[in-house]
Amino acid sequence: MEALLAFSRPALDWHALAPELTLLAFGTLITVVDIIWDDRSKQAMPTLAGIGLLATLLPVITLALDGTDRTMFGGAYVIDDFSLVLKALFLISGYVVILMSVDYIRDGDYYENEYYTLMLTSLLGMVMMSSSRDLISVFVALELLSIPAYMLAAWRKGGARSNEAGLKYYLMGVFASAVMLYGMSLVYGLAGSTAFGAIAEELGSLDSSPVAILGILFILIGFAFKVSAVPFHTWAPDTYEGAPTPVTAFLAVASKTAGMVALIQLVFVAFAGRDDVVQPFFWLIAALTMTIGNLIALRQTNIVRLLAYSGVAQGGFMLVPFAVAADAPARAVEAVVIYMAIYAFMNLGAFTVVLAVARKTRSGEIDSYGGLFQYAPGLAVAMTIFLAALAGIPPAGGWFAKFGLFRALLDAGGGWAAGLGVVVAVNTVIAFAYYARILGQMWFQPAPDGDERPVVMTGSLKAALAMTIIATMAFGILPGLVGHFGEVSVLSALGG
Amino acid sequence: MVDTVVFILAAAICLTGALGVILARNPVHSALMLVMTLFGIAVQFVALEAHFLAAVQVIVYAGAIVVLFLFVIMLLGVDRAQNLELSVLPVQKWAALVFAAGSLAILALLVMVVKEPVTGAEAIGGSATGDENVRLLARSLFSDYVYAFELTSLLLVIAVIGAVVLARKPKNVVGVAPEPGNEA
Amino acid sequence: MLLNQFLILGAVLFAVGVYGVLARKNGVMVLMSIELMLNAVNINLVVFGVQHGVVSGQVFALFVIAVAAAEVGVGLAIVLLLYRNRTSIDVEDFDLMRG
Repeated sequence: MEALLAFSRPALDWHALAPELTLLAFGTLITVVDIIWDDRSKQAMPTLAGIGLLATLLPVITLALDGTDRTMFGGAYVIDDFSLVLKALFLISGYVVILMSVDYIRDGDYYENEYYTLMLTSLLGMVMMSSSRDLISVFVALELLSIPAYMLAAWRKGGARSNEAGLKYYLMGVFASAVMLYGMSLVYGLAGSTAFGAIAEELGSLDSSPVAILGILFILIGFAFKVSAVPFHTWAPDTYEGAPTPVTAFLAVASKTAGMVALIQLVFVAFAGRDDVVQPFFWLIAALTMTIGNLIALRQTNIVRLLAYSGVAQGGFMLVPFAVAADAPARAVEAVVIYMAIYAFMNLGAFTVVLAVARKTRSGEIDSYGGLFQYAPGLAVAMTIFLAALAGIPPAGGWFAKFGLFRALLDAGGGWAAGLGVVVAVNTVIAFAYYARILGQMWFQPAPDGDERPVVMTGSLKAALAMTIIATMAFGILPGLVGHFGEVSVLSALGG
Repeated sequence: MVDTVVFILAAAICLTGALGVILARNPVHSALMLVMTLFGIAVQFVALEAHFLAAVQVIVYAGAIVVLFLFVIMLLGVDRAQNLELSVLPVQKWAALVFAAGSLAILALLVMVVKEPVTGAEAIGGSATGDENVRLLARSLFSDYVYAFELTSLLLVIAVIGAVVLARKPKNVVGVAPEPGNEA
Repeated sequence: MLLNQFLILGAVLFAVGVYGVLARKNGVMVLMSIELMLNAVNINLVVFGVQHGVVSGQVFALFVIAVAAAEVGVGLAIVLLLYRNRTSIDVEDFDLMRG
């Protein structure tokens, strides 16, 4: 009886929890400030949110300098280099999104204070996701990052279209969650435990049990929705178009990266023994996503929709290393991490330019980008850098991301990897076609209606632009920077 | 023997309710059939000796979530249900049947496979019976899963904040400024 | 007692839920079908927990219920928003998304 009543506190490592706790503290601070000062606090809100994100970077850095791997709760929560690198990526991307949002949210008819609360909460979910090595933690982290995202996507309350888009995103998201949960229940049933280590042991020792295959597939399908892989991508263009543009950037970059992080943890740790299921699934999904994303992007006339489909295709590129997960695990993880980091900055940069230009043109059509070079040369150059990066042209960063893909495929070897390499190459060429179309508009077409007034850039947009340009160029010229982070994150992900 | 009878009765309740949810025309009927399903599932939980979960199922699921559904349905007006309809591609009905059939294929798969590793267990696990059930749950929740637990509570608070913001009547009736993407 | 039949019940509920999500046009009905799917998941989790003699299945099910509550709250708020805009704006054309 006494044994049953006795309760031993779990061993908590406060330093390891520090990033999440800091972010939580700032989120609470923002909410309290909002309650007490309401409308008067609107000016301070983005600043507080930004400070919160930067403050959270401090414990991440101290944990990285400390260098020891930490686990808690029987391995469910892990701090290793992989998780630290990803946490930093989420926090910095979040900061750039906040910079992008400041003026947009203030000028539009939006609820401001709650916007920042929801964004910080979603980022907290992403930070939690980077450390989760257990089914329950992954699930809660996924919901913690998704539910604020559903609400942010519907933030433009006035338009029926945006509402419908938000509702569709929500319904598909919850549906995918339910499917993923069913898979998790099957996998849990086989393993008898929610921890990835136990799951890996159990799944690895079963030969082609249909229940195991089903469970794994359902979980992967749930996350395939999150990263907008084809055929689960149908929510993406409508949602991206209907949401406020900074939210679109947030979804396209941070939310997608979070889905990828979860996939890395699942595929490389939990499903490590089941490459018979995992590799063909990802081969198929990656090939479909790249191709269909690019083909549909070719037809788009609206820049936000084009970037949405481009994001879908880029997601496809990111999924390529998963198809060789068992043959070349180290290189594969490295490739995905590198791609995620570079993709985050180049995509955020592209969206920043879209935001800036829209301040003047009030339109999302690619035609409205005509003559950008004449009246806003800086923006035109910036956009050129980002589009070049997305297309994979040196010296902008994207080339190293694609290079990482090919390196992983080469390491794996074999017919399937070679086939996928061909698909990647072909898609890179196709993608260049629509990126070039935008470039052509900016550089060679006259301004629509001869309107050559300059674009008024606000301070925060300039800051966001500066950060993303510097990152994109730095990753392109000094690939060792991001390559280092890629290498470092590999060892721990595989070891854990 | 009693177990089997209880199971069959409860399963019948669950399935009737489930079919009612998807086939009823009137959303209020759907919600009430959902309550039926949830109650059937709560009975199954008791049969599986998960007493606390059965109580939570009734209190939270049937008692809060379905009530919320009914509030919103009645607020919006049952006869206006068609205003909530999303555009459905004509192919969707067929896709629905295909997927449902696929899911039933899963069922067949489970039935065939089910002799072996999945469910050999005969007896209910004796480790979580009666009063101990709550204790064991609490122990587990507050030691192994306390992190996820605390963040779930945060999730609930944020859901409330966001839901209030979204569902509020607009502060002013000014039109939304045209944004890129909305013009297309 | 054998545990197989619970899994079959779960599978059937899940299949019914999937059909409901894909075939119903009304947003609230879709949400209710998703609740069916989540209940199927819960049955599975509890059953497997019992099979292995651990309580983590029930803990997982508890989390699913809590998260489902949050999801429903958010979903119904979005539905309410959509309804308000649809009836105050005289829009006959519901299929606004093209391309």
